[in-house]
Amino acid sequence: MLRIDRRFIKNFDWVTLSIAIIIALIGIMTIYSATRPLETEEHPGFYIKQASWLILGIIALFAIVSFDYVWLSRLSLHLYITGIVLLITVFILGKTGMGAQRWLSLGPVSFQPSEFFKLIYIIMLSQQLSAINGPISTSIIFRIFFLIVFLPFILLIKQPDLGTSLVILTIFIFLILTKGLHKKVALLFVIISLISLPFLGNILWGGLKDYQKSRIVAFIDPEVDPAGIGYHLNQSKITVGSGKFFGKGYMHGTQGPFRFLPEKHTDFIFAVFAEEWGFLGSLLLLFLYLVLILRGLDTARKAKDDFGKLLALGITFMFLIYLFINVGMTLGLMPVVGIPLPFMSYGGTALLSNLLSIGVLINIRTRRFELFH
Amino acid sequence: MNKKRAIILNTTIIFSFFLVSLRLTDLMIFNHTRLSERAKLQHVKVEDIQVRRGIIFDRRGRELALNLELESLYCDPENLNLDNDSMRRLASVMAKEPRVILSKIPAAGRFAWVERKLEPDTAEKVKRLNIKGLEFLTEAKRFYPKGELASHILGFVGVDNQALEGVELKYDRYIKTTGGKVFFERDASGKTLSSGVDIEAKGNNIVLTIDEGLQSIVEREIDKAIIKWRAAAASAIMMDPFTGEILALANRPAYDPNKGGSAGGSEKRNRAITDCYEPGSTFKIIIGVASLEEKIAKPDTLFDVSKGSIQVGGKTIRDVHKYGVLTFKEVIQKSSNVGSITIGMRLGKDRIYKYAKLLGVGKKTGIDLPGEVSGWIHPPERWSGTSLGAIPIGQEVAVTPLQMLRAYSAIANGGFLVRPHVVSEIISPNGQVLASLKDKEMKRIISARTAETFKDILKSVVEEGGTGKRASVDGNEVAGKTGTAQIIDPRTKRYSKEKFVSSFVGFVPADNPRLAIIVVIYEPKGQIYGGVVAAPVFRDIADQSLSYLDIPREDNPHHAPLLVSR
Repeated sequence: MLRIDRRFIKNFDWVTLSIAIIIALIGIMTIYSATRPLETEEHPGFYIKQASWLILGIIALFAIVSFDYVWLSRLSLHLYITGIVLLITVFILGKTGMGAQRWLSLGPVSFQPSEFFKLIYIIMLSQQLSAINGPISTSIIFRIFFLIVFLPFILLIKQPDLGTSLVILTIFIFLILTKGLHKKVALLFVIISLISLPFLGNILWGGLKDYQKSRIVAFIDPEVDPAGIGYHLNQSKITVGSGKFFGKGYMHGTQGPFRFLPEKHTDFIFAVFAEEWGFLGSLLLLFLYLVLILRGLDTARKAKDDFGKLLALGITFMFLIYLFINVGMTLGLMPVVGIPLPFMSYGGTALLSNLLSIGVLINIRTRRFELFH
Repeated sequence: MNKKRAIILNTTIIFSFFLVSLRLTDLMIFNHTRLSERAKLQHVKVEDIQVRRGIIFDRRGRELALNLELESLYCDPENLNLDNDSMRRLASVMAKEPRVILSKIPAAGRFAWVERKLEPDTAEKVKRLNIKGLEFLTEAKRFYPKGELASHILGFVGVDNQALEGVELKYDRYIKTTGGKVFFERDASGKTLSSGVDIEAKGNNIVLTIDEGLQSIVEREIDKAIIKWRAAAASAIMMDPFTGEILALANRPAYDPNKGGSAGGSEKRNRAITDCYEPGSTFKIIIGVASLEEKIAKPDTLFDVSKGSIQVGGKTIRDVHKYGVLTFKEVIQKSSNVGSITIGMRLGKDRIYKYAKLLGVGKKTGIDLPGEVSGWIHPPERWSGTSLGAIPIGQEVAVTPLQMLRAYSAIANGGFLVRPHVVSEIISPNGQVLASLKDKEMKRIISARTAETFKDILKSVVEEGGTGKRASVDGNEVAGKTGTAQIIDPRTKRYSKEKFVSSFVGFVPADNPRLAIIVVIYEPKGQIYGGVVAAPVFRDIADQSLSYLDIPREDNPHHAPLLVSR
């Protein structure tokens, strides 16, 4: 199976790999600055942990690339069941951290099964949708929704992990649209959504936790209570705004180390980067992401089969959604939803899972000329 | 179809990135100043402390205002470890009630003054208590080593060394320091991460025109006069008549600038420039100079004042004595009201007004001290029927002592209007002269001839037969004029029968004037005439000052020096 021949190396997607690794390295650098102590205390080891996860992730990435992704299609059901079992395990045994039950301990390492589940879910969804020929009918949508989407969605909402659950739902919609709908079906769904929107909104609002509600209030009017619910948003904007054109310079940001900006090395790492590297640096970083995403879409177009195409699209959409929600929240364009910035934010499981996803993308692109076995 | 969809998708994504970039521009470029200001505000706290104001010297380099380094106690409320026992000991060391100390300590925050500028031994004792969260910071306390001396010139500062009066206030922007700041860098929890004190900058030093020796003489003599005449208040100014340099300026009552904040309003008033009075006969300089300039009279022009009174607008104005026929010179020498009013009538309203303005009446002198008033003289069109009987003899006008002194200095210096000032130089901390405040040009207001003639008349005032002979000094000729004026009673709005202002203004040595001096005594008891109350004060001040300055005492033909052995 492992065939490292010249053609493999020639077709290997070095662009995607390098961009992912460069962004991850920028992330480690920024984590180092954001968590630097101001006095003589020891530097917290976040950056070392992240670097270890990066190395592990690169190894895993090559492992994934080494066999044809078609195997993922064959294993999709097994993977999916494992994923669901893990989510349920978290629900029962998981550790609570920062108000949510997301973590599972395996000896000395803790990890978030939901991070891996995203990838598993996209594989499962792609496999299911690729098996369908022609436009999708309403019954198929309902079948897939209730078989694949509904259970994890509920499990994630209950953790609570609003961010990931919304991502799961959005990817579902995206992939169905990509696969193609009958015009009638599409119209029906639009009408149903419009009618049910007020009710759904009400139910959703009622189901939100207090901190989630206040985040939405804070987004609509950040000055309501700058020290309270608007705090994250305000501090994030202050941090980004401090950057100016060329930034304050690496290791010269103040908002993170002075602990004004919460979640400085995780969800708000973009703000720390913007403060230190300025407008120019931020544009360059966004450009790297843009190239990564456009490359992912190109991979989807060039995939040798429908499964590969859907899989590449699903993964790229996932990165896109994460990127926009995270940057949008950092810049005050969106309510605060606690999701990390792919490759940048501190978090081992997320980095590993993202590199695995990149591995899948590379796999699809590298094998675009190969025939079916 | 697939390709078209791909193009739409790519375009949408690129457009979204563009929107994000726009938002970045908005936050990082357009709102940068506002947001970074907020970032700075929340992590740096700056406390201004003014340290080391410039030193104020007299003209001979003697220190009149300097700084003492004292320690101020501040606390860091979040680190403060003050139990009942240590509170009790702190209270007893500082000699304060525990609740007074507690009231200065806020519940939160990182910095609060507990007590500013403690006495050195108190500070030492507090340090020895070793209470966590109590810290010291060295601050400079303004100190005026001579106490009350020259207090109305120096002014004083508040507890934060903020200028409140006098030269301290007028020259504050030169004396104060700009670099006195304490920085506290803190994180979101309020924890202080670093603090720094910037006390390197020193203020510029000021050299006054005041001479401490002359100032002491003036203050001592007006103190004596206040006691002798049980007077309500007094002012005296000594000025170089050629340059306008104020050599001494004093008022009574006065205050100690070291306790400036607790002094009353009356003590703090710099009457010499902030209070007007009706000058009385010293104002006759106006009609005297005007009639000489306008050639209305010569020193020997005769005026019949034998009636002893004159009617103006239905009011009768009398002389103190009946004189018969007087020359113009004698009208001034004997201070005849009838003669002065007669001259005034010949001059007319407009010319009196013109010369009053020319000699600086009704206009600030521009002295470099805060609070100067302009006084007033009504323009001719507002004069009443009786004004012509009042203004020539110095009623119905209001002047400051400094304005009168300046008018007489014009006689002393040959016809020039000087600009009185108290600061001669501003010197940087390293000794470089930043500004020298001498006037280059002086404005001529009357002819040298008129000045010379009127000076001779003023000399006769101090000679036998003049009203001011008690101002004469052994060894030097004096030129001057007495003044006695009624005060308007604020209750009745009429001239009081008991309250007077007695004054003497003149200069010495008459032919080579070095000192122009005015003495104004408010509400003396027992005697009221300027020649009796103020003239001797002038003499005592002048006599000692001439000796102090080593001015030769041999130019008076009438009063030969006492030690003549030639």
